Amino acid sequence: MLFPTVQFAIFFPIVLALSWALMSRPRLWKPFIVVASYVFYAAASWRFCLLLAGVTLGNQAAARLIDRAADERRRSVILGVAVALDLGVLAAFKYYGFFVQSLAHGLDDVGLGLPLPLLAIALPVGISFFTFQAISYVVDVKRRVVPPSGLVDVAVYLSFFPHLVAGPIVRAKEFLPQLAAPRDPSRVAVGSGIALIGLGLVKKVVIADFLARTVVDPVFAVPDAYSAPDVWLAAYAYTAQIFCDFSGYTDMAIGLALLMGYVFPQNFRSPYRATGFRDFWRRWHMTLSRFLRDFLYIPLGGNRGGRAKTYRNLLITMVLGGLWHGAAWPFVLWGAFHGVGLVAEHALGGRLRTPGWLRWLVTFHLIVLGWILFRSQSIDLAGSFLSRLTVPGDATLWSVPVVLAIVVVIGLQLLPEKPLERLQVRIERIRPAVLGAGFAVLVLFVGATVSSQGVAPFIYFRF
Amino acid sequence: MSPPTDDSLMNRFDEHGLRRFRARDAVIAVTLASLLLVLFEGAAVRRAGEQMDPGVGRGVVLAVGKPAGAIADALPLASAAHSVTGWLSPDGKLDARDSFTAASAVTGGDAGVPPVTADAFDPARIGAPPAPKRRLHTLLVTGDSMSTPLDSEVSRLLVGGTVRVIGEPHLGTGISKSFLVDWGQLSAQQVKRDHPNAVVVFIGANEGFPMKGPGGREVKCCGADWAAVYANRVRRMVDTYRQRGAARIYWIGIPAPRSAARQKISRVVNEAAEVATQPWRGQVRVIDTGAIFTPHGYRDAMKVGGVESIVRQPDGIHLNQKGAALLAATLLQQIRQDFVY
Repeated sequence: MLFPTVQFAIFFPIVLALSWALMSRPRLWKPFIVVASYVFYAAASWRFCLLLAGVTLGNQAAARLIDRAADERRRSVILGVAVALDLGVLAAFKYYGFFVQSLAHGLDDVGLGLPLPLLAIALPVGISFFTFQAISYVVDVKRRVVPPSGLVDVAVYLSFFPHLVAGPIVRAKEFLPQLAAPRDPSRVAVGSGIALIGLGLVKKVVIADFLARTVVDPVFAVPDAYSAPDVWLAAYAYTAQIFCDFSGYTDMAIGLALLMGYVFPQNFRSPYRATGFRDFWRRWHMTLSRFLRDFLYIPLGGNRGGRAKTYRNLLITMVLGGLWHGAAWPFVLWGAFHGVGLVAEHALGGRLRTPGWLRWLVTFHLIVLGWILFRSQSIDLAGSFLSRLTVPGDATLWSVPVVLAIVVVIGLQLLPEKPLERLQVRIERIRPAVLGAGFAVLVLFVGATVSSQGVAPFIYFRF
Repeated sequence: MSPPTDDSLMNRFDEHGLRRFRARDAVIAVTLASLLLVLFEGAAVRRAGEQMDPGVGRGVVLAVGKPAGAIADALPLASAAHSVTGWLSPDGKLDARDSFTAASAVTGGDAGVPPVTADAFDPARIGAPPAPKRRLHTLLVTGDSMSTPLDSEVSRLLVGGTVRVIGEPHLGTGISKSFLVDWGQLSAQQVKRDHPNAVVVFIGANEGFPMKGPGGREVKCCGADWAAVYANRVRRMVDTYRQRGAARIYWIGIPAPRSAARQKISRVVNEAAEVATQPWRGQVRVIDTGAIFTPHGYRDAMKVGGVESIVRQPDGIHLNQKGAALLAATLLQQIRQDFVY
């Protein structure tokens, strides 16, 4: 079930009302929210629910065993098995085709073609998110950051529908404490919740889909058909589109959770105002970068083993982070590109003294360059796209709405944060009835911008 | 249990007194928004339900959508809202006279035995000299989600030349789903707007919906009656696209899907397209994708350029990039028989 659909518009008000009605009785509320979340997930395919339930049961069993084991080595072994199983699930559903096909092509190239079983396996929606959250749970139990919770609590944590299919990646230590006691029904951030849902809708349906339809999809499909002005425009447009698409989903998820009394971690903080790769990853998909830092980079040794090992760890982390986004070589290349950027930044160590605006300009364009790799369907197409960046020709796709959308999306991120915070406070002071009516009017306007080609799926649903 | 202390900003809504309201206020705000949307757009809820595949989800949405639609129909609010927001629509206006539900479209034509014309014969099949090749200026690649990424692959193969390739997929639509997009109207609009001299149509992933047959009676999938109504709709589209013989049409059949239920529908859809195009076999080429992708039933992978490759999407319906590239190459071989570019 997608957020911007009629099905969800029917589902959510009912679940919200029942959720608050049952909130004071956790024994009823928790099973209710698990059932509601599984209904939400089953709209994609009921078979995926079995996988989610299996991951929940498996990780809960592992957490219990870890808790009972007194010996630290035994705890590590159980954790290793649990993480391997989680990654195995991810590998089987997400990476099987990629690895087998890459292997088959490699063997064919050296004349050793083998009849490897090629299968198009359906990717369960949100698998990358809930397996990572499951890993976060068992690791946090092993590290004694959280005690093992009850099975129902873990089921709520892994299946809670606002974050189930496309994040943000909510860590066990961030969510499970919120389940310890019912949420306070007298302290709900109604204004922020509704404003975030509305903002997410506008970002996704109005801006991201418009840019995708008019500029990004045609140019990235056949870059050779366009010359530099259009190709540059498509690169900037995709930079704006991917931000609006993913942060739009995140805004809606955070807003929905807020109305239900729950807080999710922040996932974006004006990423295009970053003045370096490290700064960018502190602002873009913050929940993923924290996960990679805490569960991959630091366990690999982080920056503790000297310069060479730090660089190695950065590269491994970013390449695997790239692969997490999708089973395709352009994602690996994108991850490696960011890894090299982080290494270079680390190596320079602030020795290069440049004005802030120049650091921003260089960083922003390197990020745009990375998005070209990320969006291209193959490395060949990425090469075609890059080669067209210098080919003179006509600007056939430039229009005032397109340029305006790009400038607004990127420009707003460069503004000081204080006025936006003040706006949030003002919105929160508006009466709920006025907010509800305003939201309905917004939906009418947003709905009118949907083309007969439909609302495109969220980019991060594939990951 | 340690409280969240890292940089996840979990306390950001506690600052500035943002948690000002009660849970009841959240429910009131959401309920009010829902009620207003029912009053203004109740018909859209009903329409969304009608577009869904049969199942529990459809039943639930229709259970809400039918009364919501009835309320909205009785009020003037929807038309008022549309007149205020209509300018935002990215779609052009469709002509009601081209609709499948226009009176003449339901039966497929006038009574009497239609004459067979020369257009019904493909010169190659009767050993006649082929029609002279024309220059290809504008190629429209359209259909439902099946037509993408085929449109990109065709564009890629034609890049650098003088051919203008227009990709126009309409996701989730179907010829039997005219309550969503009426392909009778849409095809007329595409021709009026672009005047393509070649049209590639790849559609059929979302078929199987009941349609109005002769006498206005509802015909359910997938017997001969349904196939006849479907074929009449295809025939009407083909007649529009061919622009009185000025354009060529490449109607792409659906490769067998993985699901047995969908196979049943796709078989009827393919056969209906064959029957519908009979009057203009000299101008319409029906491409049998079953022979390429599923000669002995459904398969995920096949040899492409000597290498075993996955050619279908995991949904078992659509072609993936590799499959679309293979189909695009086959399609251009056909186009080259009719055009120079």
